[in-house]
Amino acid sequence: MSRRYDSRTTIFSPEGRLYQVEYAMEAIGNAGSAIGILAKDGVVLVGEKKVTSKLLQTSASTEKMYKVDDHVACAVAGIMSDANILINTARVQAQRYTYAYQEPMPVEQLVQSLCDTKQGYTQYGGLRPFGVSFLFAGWDKNYGFQLYMSDPSGNYSGWKAAAIGANNQAAQSMLKQDYKDEITREEAVQLALKVLSKTMDSTSLTSEKLELAEVFLTNGKVKYQVCSPEILSKLLLKSGVTQPAAEAS
Amino acid sequence: MNCPLPQAISPKSTQFLPFYTQIRTKSSIFDCFLRLNLSLMSIFEYNGSAIVAMVGKNCFAIASDRRLGVQLQTVATDFQKIYKMHDKLFIGLAGLATDAQTLYQRLVFRLKLYQLREERDMKPETFASLVSAILYEKRFGPYFCQPVIAGLGDEDKPFICTMDSIGAKELAKDFVVAGTASESLYGACESMFKPDMEAEELFETISQALLSSVDRDCLSGWGGHVYLVTPTEVTERILKGRMD
Amino acid sequence: MESVFGLVGKDFAIVAADTSAVHSILVHKTNEDKIMLLDSHKLMGASGETGDRAQFTEYIQKNVALYQFRNGIPLTTAAAANYTRGELATALRKNPYQVNIILAGYDKEIGPSIYYIDYIASCHKLDKAAFGYGSYFALAMMDRHYRRDMTIEEAIELVDKCIIEIRSRLVVAPPNFIIKIVDKDGAREYAWRQSIKDSPVPAA
Repeated sequence: MSRRYDSRTTIFSPEGRLYQVEYAMEAIGNAGSAIGILAKDGVVLVGEKKVTSKLLQTSASTEKMYKVDDHVACAVAGIMSDANILINTARVQAQRYTYAYQEPMPVEQLVQSLCDTKQGYTQYGGLRPFGVSFLFAGWDKNYGFQLYMSDPSGNYSGWKAAAIGANNQAAQSMLKQDYKDEITREEAVQLALKVLSKTMDSTSLTSEKLELAEVFLTNGKVKYQVCSPEILSKLLLKSGVTQPAAEAS
Repeated sequence: MNCPLPQAISPKSTQFLPFYTQIRTKSSIFDCFLRLNLSLMSIFEYNGSAIVAMVGKNCFAIASDRRLGVQLQTVATDFQKIYKMHDKLFIGLAGLATDAQTLYQRLVFRLKLYQLREERDMKPETFASLVSAILYEKRFGPYFCQPVIAGLGDEDKPFICTMDSIGAKELAKDFVVAGTASESLYGACESMFKPDMEAEELFETISQALLSSVDRDCLSGWGGHVYLVTPTEVTERILKGRMD
Repeated sequence: MESVFGLVGKDFAIVAADTSAVHSILVHKTNEDKIMLLDSHKLMGASGETGDRAQFTEYIQKNVALYQFRNGIPLTTAAAANYTRGELATALRKNPYQVNIILAGYDKEIGPSIYYIDYIASCHKLDKAAFGYGSYFALAMMDRHYRRDMTIEEAIELVDKCIIEIRSRLVVAPPNFIIKIVDKDGAREYAWRQSIKDSPVPAA
């Protein structure tokens, strides 16, 4: 029955579902996961890299974390080629806003503009939706630090802690249990690593499987910082999710 | 015709205008500007400006005056004409203030996207080409601006250059000047400049050159703004000159 | 002829403008309000071609309102000034509006500010600004008497000095002026300075 309503993104099934959009979300469920936690002094993003091969030439830049503007960064789960297109539009949108108002774009407006693009692809015919979910971490002068999650349908919402990608439901419920208000950035990093270590398929966490990025304020200015593998290894040791012995093996 | 400025010559004499004004069918403000251009005043002199950049030993300095005027009326004495593009790259925009602002905003737009995409800062040579391309885009209705670009490139080699309003680059090893005080700046720089100056001497030289030049120009002045850039630090200084 | 000027005080900003609607040698009206309330905390004083002024200021006002509806937060004064500048600058190379603008606003974090935007879209933040033939007198007056920490009373006194100077020294001086203020409590009309009233319309 559902076959008839599968092929097009633009058509509702009799049960009122958009199958292509749901399939897109399914695609993300298999992708490397990412976790975002809103702390009182910043936002933390942690992502799981699916290491494919030792032979793969990894570029110097990050694989799952992208800076969108000086005050906004995002973590990606889903089809990377789709994500690249969306990240580019987000960057252009942010710069257009700055060009018009000579001020950084408020975080929610940026998320909204990107989600409008996503939504368009669930409605206009002949196209498939973007198979990407995002976590947006940012700061603006009106609402301070913010964390948003968006999905292929173009929905977005603000969160204190959120997970996307593989095992996101398990991660989400762990976050719900362990999240405290007034959490600091340092604690947030620990929490994110802990949750990821339990929800990831692989047995031990290593720095080459992870990416950690933070958005925070230094001397009144927003800073986006990606954690280096060395520091990440130390953090992993400290949080006790990897044993030194396991790392050596 | 809705011309806001006194028409210097009658519309009949359009045949003497440069060809790019004739291809505009719609009468706009720029026809008025260009008409004035031929007789009384160049639109480049509407707001007044003086910009100079100099190369020292592994460093450079870029300086400007601070006046924003509307012809002979001074509107502000704290107007920014030099913009920091990143830690080691500066651009000074002489000429019509509105176009300088628009141009600067467009450059920031392009530079930010470049930085995000490439995950590195733009080299001064590349930036000069970008400015040139953006200016030439408007070949037949130009931004009435003369940019001065100064930066530290690979291995902190100083780079300075200027260009005309349609993007013809002019590279220099010693100094470049722009604005309504450019003639007097040429003279001052020609006699004061020495190659391979250390940072502090360079600051003294560029400041003296700027201040003595703007004193001979009605349209620029009201103090100066100097950036001194070495591989390790950027020093910004505000100069007081003849404040009249 | 037209005179619009403004200044920033201790915790407020003032904009004053003449209220004459003039065309060629005729005065059509002497109670034309040339200072628009952009939103709750912004004032836009404008001079220039009558039609352009009305069209352009309303266009900006509506777009500022649209922004607030869409995003739930108001534009800052700086953002509104830069937006206005951008619109003027794009129009400049198509079909220019001939309007000079003094934009005054009050922001919680920043306090009061005034932006000078002329018809060719040069934009600059100032403490005191003036446009039109009145500017020669208003600027000179403000240069002499202005202080950054003025109270409202002192500032109004200075505005009145400017108006008196314009009325007494400018050949084509406008008779009436309007003064508006913006501070933490919002933008509002403060006073009129009228030396003539429009003649009353006789009953039919």
